[in-house]
Amino acid sequence: MASTLPLWILVITALALTAWRSRRYAAALANAPAAARFNRPMLRLQGVMVAIGMHRKMLRKPLSGVLHAIIFISFFVLFTATIDAFGSRLFPGFSLAPVGGETWIAALQDVFSVLMLTGVGLALYQRYVLRPARFDGSSGSDAAIIYVLIVLIVASLLLEAAARIAGGTDGSWRPVASVLAGLLDRAGMSAHAGEELFYWVHVGAILAFLVYIPGSKHRHMFLAAPNIYFRNLEPRGLVPAVPEAREVPGIDSLGQFDWKQQLDLLSCTECGRCQAVCPAYAAGLPLSPKLLITDMRDALAAGPSAAPLVGGVISEETLWACTTCRACMEVCPVEIEHLPKIIDMRRHLVDEGLVSPGLQEALSNLTRLGNSMGKPSKMRSRWTKELGFPVKDAREQPVDVLWFVGDYASYDPRVQEITRRVAELLTAAGVDFGILFDAERNSGNDVRRAGEEGLFETLAQSNIDEINACRFNRIMTTDPHSLNALKNDYRHFGAAFEVLHYTALLAELITAGKLDLHVADGARVTYHDPCYLGRYNGGFDAPRALIRAAGYTLHDMPRCRENSFCCGAGGGRIWQGDDGVTERPSENRIREALSLGDVAYFVVACPKDKVMYTAAIDALGVAETLKVVDIAELLVPRTSRAIEMPTVET
Amino acid sequence: MNILVVLRMIPDSAGELQLAEDGRSIDREWLDFQLNDFDDHALEEAILLKEAGGAKVTAVAVGEGANRVLQMAAARGADEVVALQCEEDAMISSREIAASIAAMARAKSADLVLCGVQSSEDVFGQLAPYVGALLDWPHVSGANRIVANGAVLRVTQERGAGVAVTYELAAPAVLGVQTASKAPRYVSGSKLREASKTPIGRATPEPSGLERAADIITLRLPVQGGSGENLGGNAETVADRLVSILAAKGMARN
Ligand code: SF4
Ligand code: SF4
Repeated sequence: MASTLPLWILVITALALTAWRSRRYAAALANAPAAARFNRPMLRLQGVMVAIGMHRKMLRKPLSGVLHAIIFISFFVLFTATIDAFGSRLFPGFSLAPVGGETWIAALQDVFSVLMLTGVGLALYQRYVLRPARFDGSSGSDAAIIYVLIVLIVASLLLEAAARIAGGTDGSWRPVASVLAGLLDRAGMSAHAGEELFYWVHVGAILAFLVYIPGSKHRHMFLAAPNIYFRNLEPRGLVPAVPEAREVPGIDSLGQFDWKQQLDLLSCTECGRCQAVCPAYAAGLPLSPKLLITDMRDALAAGPSAAPLVGGVISEETLWACTTCRACMEVCPVEIEHLPKIIDMRRHLVDEGLVSPGLQEALSNLTRLGNSMGKPSKMRSRWTKELGFPVKDAREQPVDVLWFVGDYASYDPRVQEITRRVAELLTAAGVDFGILFDAERNSGNDVRRAGEEGLFETLAQSNIDEINACRFNRIMTTDPHSLNALKNDYRHFGAAFEVLHYTALLAELITAGKLDLHVADGARVTYHDPCYLGRYNGGFDAPRALIRAAGYTLHDMPRCRENSFCCGAGGGRIWQGDDGVTERPSENRIREALSLGDVAYFVVACPKDKVMYTAAIDALGVAETLKVVDIAELLVPRTSRAIEMPTVET
Repeated sequence: MNILVVLRMIPDSAGELQLAEDGRSIDREWLDFQLNDFDDHALEEAILLKEAGGAKVTAVAVGEGANRVLQMAAARGADEVVALQCEEDAMISSREIAASIAAMARAKSADLVLCGVQSSEDVFGQLAPYVGALLDWPHVSGANRIVANGAVLRVTQERGAGVAVTYELAAPAVLGVQTASKAPRYVSGSKLREASKTPIGRATPEPSGLERAADIITLRLPVQGGSGENLGGNAETVADRLVSILAAKGMARN
């Protein structure tokens, strides 16, 4: 056929251009440090199936999910048309007709062309009419170019078929194209000229699409699947350690990121789901997890440049704004890992001594005394003095449960009351427990996430040594942050402890009939899932079981369980100032609880939350309508007098 | 230039202070110790001088926990670190240690001795003047900026209300530092860990050779209050309560 040679030239040129446009990325990935992401292939594959085949995360946003699914499936069906279009002229004689190319495949192509256009129509409606805020900062022109190309490809496909039908081909398998054939006829277009014209528009648009992709977010068509396949399979609560091969703890140039971290940058779809859930972004801080990724991606595309990564491409304020709540990673449909990147860049800042005064004070206190408040270790167990009974020293006597109390629960006068309540509940249930007294140190969870790896190691090693010297069966923590460090991060040192949050232990005691509670009259309460208990460690159900067991009715907020909204204290944020914050995440959250309209208590299960939310409620002046209570405060053993819960008007 | 910096460990003020049996000192047994804040600034200024024009910085620490602080000094850039042995469980008296510091300054051929302007155990700020006198070197205290140009030093001293004077003097000299030109830097845990391998030298104290001029006869700890009242967080009830307190004290009519 006469068009074979020109088509070959066109295809080879397009492929060469595509390769040329991908060269920087390819080189970056080829030169990147290694990452161990090749284990457990079946599990990896399974994840890809669920993520792509079932659109699991995509469908959490129904409109986007459905329209994407339509486009996605249509793409595969219409790919047969692409094979046909190129195959038939590159390799004369090739045809899909023997397998149904002119019958059922033709029918599918016909129908799915319309579906594809419908999908694109929905996408246009979403992007230009609904305009969700999560698209803020995404490239509008990139999306527009892609829409135009898709419409061109599909329209030319239909019209080419229509022209053929107008020229006498049987159109009974192509109802839509048949209708169009009639229109072409009326327009007086010659069938043969029309077929050739639409054919070349079709292949031209496809090749343009191909050449365009390397510089577009539509790279995700090729990279989403591998990026999901090579996702992190380690526990969510384990921060990747500093690789042995790296000489300094942190990262200050893109090339130091391993290939998976770089692949992440290339895979971002700019969907903005991460931005929509980010508490730092909502607070008006200069951090959007989406822009974090796309800014680094653009820097990678631009090649080596004069601007430094940390403090240039990504500003220090952006890095310090993150609460490490993990909401972004939870929603990202292509499994991009924002946090390891943020932490690696923070490690660089810490190593350079570039920390804010508040953070410096907290870290210096932690270095010196093992707690962020700057209090002497000897005062750590002060809260026990006002208990009516002694607490065992786990360093001296064997215990069943070793209670790792944590800084806030030990030192903060606003939380000590709850700590004592937990001790009383354990005693009422006959639990044999003890604490480490002045040998306990901050667990290092947020120290590590603030990028202070060396200090984390010192704190962790000290705790591990103390814990290993005790005889116990299980560890219980008050603080979800300590829970996460002990359970996950301490694996870094080979420590494998069985660690429970107090809500899990108390729920277990109630189920076992060891703790008999006063039952309230069903008053409605709401519950805030702490990031490090819920999203990080899956502790969603025990707190809810406790609320029910205590006789309250739970009314969950819209953002609950894995979609919980961070209080704003994590990852070292609690030690930093509020500069630049337009709405504190904790106040945003309290407004959400107030909007439920019928809850009297805001139930928490993390000492930091008691502090953060009490402050938020005071700041909003709603102390009369909503009270912050720790779950432990709801639980009253029958052996003691029923407590007077504070009365509130609802 | 050789710089000697003095780092004194003082009782952590966040701890619970208790009187010793003799009633004239603090019971140091259960206390945590921390680096005197002004000495921290002196160390920072020494490192800044080193970074600006090159210098060898020797840090000498006195008191409980000296080793830890010396590792920190090494991590921040001190070239040599020395722990000066001192009497255990005793307050660090400038009078007592001045001779040892002066001797060390000579032994290390120091051109500049830096220390904090004062400490909680030396509110007179006597260490710099004592050492200056023993060495017969010029001394300026209250420095908040030091610029070295060869052996010529420019020392800026804050005089309150924004008034600052700058002295020019020739090294060798002894300077009492109020604040460093830049806030003391943060040293990361990984740098500290690395610095923990730095060998720590030991120095034995020299006899002070000075007669005691006055003795402490009593030491009083702050009286614990208990007079505060939390008025709560609700504006209306707070206002009501305030009015009634003021009225009860005769400061307002109800
Ligand atoms: S971890 Fe949380 S705060 Fe940090 S970027 Fe992600 S969503 Fe934002
Ligand atoms: S990082 Fe993930 S969630 Fe965020 S915009 Fe990119 S693809 Fe979407």
